[in-house]
Amino acid sequence: MAALEYFTVECVEDKGREVYEQIASDVLLDLDLLRVVEKLHIFIDPRVPVFVAVGTTRRSGGLVRIRDFADVIVEEGRATLSIGDETYLAPMLSILWGRYGKDSIDQPDRFSVVVHLPEGEDPREIEEIVVADPEEGLYRDLIYALQIVAPEGFKVRRQYHAGGVFYYVASENTLPQEIVDTLVAEKLNLIGVTL
Amino acid sequence: MIFVPITYKGGVYRHDEIVDLIEDLGGYIVQKHMIAQDVVLQCLVPKDDVELIRTIGRPLGGEVIVAPLVGTEIAVVSPSLEIHHLPHSSCDVAEYLRRAGAKTNMVGLARGFGKRIANLNVEERDTINEHDLVVYVLGNFEVCIEEKFPALRRGVHVPIVVTGAPSTEALRRVIDPPVEGYVGNMGRCMHRTKKPEELATLDALVDEVSRVLDEKRVEIAKDPLSVSPARLMKVIEEKVEAVHMVNHPTPVTVQIAGLRVKIPYESYAPEIRALEIENGVTVGDVAEVLPSKMRNYIWLRIKPFSETNIMV
Repeated sequence: MAALEYFTVECVEDKGREVYEQIASDVLLDLDLLRVVEKLHIFIDPRVPVFVAVGTTRRSGGLVRIRDFADVIVEEGRATLSIGDETYLAPMLSILWGRYGKDSIDQPDRFSVVVHLPEGEDPREIEEIVVADPEEGLYRDLIYALQIVAPEGFKVRRQYHAGGVFYYVASENTLPQEIVDTLVAEKLNLIGVTL
Repeated sequence: MIFVPITYKGGVYRHDEIVDLIEDLGGYIVQKHMIAQDVVLQCLVPKDDVELIRTIGRPLGGEVIVAPLVGTEIAVVSPSLEIHHLPHSSCDVAEYLRRAGAKTNMVGLARGFGKRIANLNVEERDTINEHDLVVYVLGNFEVCIEEKFPALRRGVHVPIVVTGAPSTEALRRVIDPPVEGYVGNMGRCMHRTKKPEELATLDALVDEVSRVLDEKRVEIAKDPLSVSPARLMKVIEEKVEAVHMVNHPTPVTVQIAGLRVKIPYESYAPEIRALEIENGVTVGDVAEVLPSKMRNYIWLRIKPFSETNIMV
């Protein structure tokens, strides 16, 4: 996997290691996560059994605001948003509905939204409204990917993602928190990260 | 008469001549697929007449291939068929065995995943035991296969072929008591099998499955069946009108020593038992008509000659 800075699978069985290297790269490639994940270390011990994946993610840019994908033209008492990229249109509309009420929002065509502003509202504030946080979706996608990579029977799991560091520990037996912490700290050390 | 399993592939145009020819020669058509302009016939034909079919089929663009698994029903067991682990290698296994002529059924176990927690319930066990052979498509770790396999095979008495990512030797070492066949280097992977080495493994699987089934056929030949399953299929197809009303691709599925008839047991079992094959010998005389564990189908287990003293 060329796009990853660091990628290692550690396993007591050689064949298992080979197969899991293949599985992990297939999954990351299929789910388009190669550019998001920076480092990934997977440790599998089928004798325990336990599956540990630790790694870091690249910064995916900050919060998405309305000004990032729409031009705001302010006229008398109303603001017209002309949408450049439809990706965030639906979440934007629900946020605007919540804030100004459905009566104040018109959508004359696919790419324009008109907001009738209440008295005293600064029209420039609309530009700053936060519509989405890419990190949120990233966490979900990443955990989903690791769930696919992990062996099928490992239903008990602990997962974490914050500040660009993530871990995913799974087993078919119970997972006491202190064991998870020790294992994760040990593996994170290998890629030069501490929680 | 010795029958060999073949697959005939050709065009729709004048394919009825081939169908008539096979029937005139005393052969049996086990399954017939019509896909757009193509026809695929899975059949059992007399050994001496394979060349004749090939010669007659040639001007019609027909191709005759020996398909070792025609007339067998195989269970492909996967510890789980979970949606987020798709694509499953068991899908490729089942499809590949179908190309070799077998009728395969996928069995996804309810609680087959995991090492310590894997188990096989009674319904799954009985369903598997209705097949000619079972292929267990296992995972990537030797220690897991070693620990979970005894639970997955408990009570299964049909021949077993095991596949997994460890090498064939490793599988042979960890599985105790031994099973009938092993195919290594094929475990869980997250892509469809398309690389040459993966296809070679699937070919090895087909070879292993046909070897195990040949052994089973030899075993059966020592105490032959009272009636050939393909012949019984023909009798049922001729006399039981209801099987033609069924939408399954194979309403009557041929097995090595039995048949699965896909009509309700409660309503049709007495009729099938009373069906006359020849000279007053009925189906009930030469076969046990049992309720199948698969839906409400009928499962026929043909009795050997030593049990019935009848040969039709």
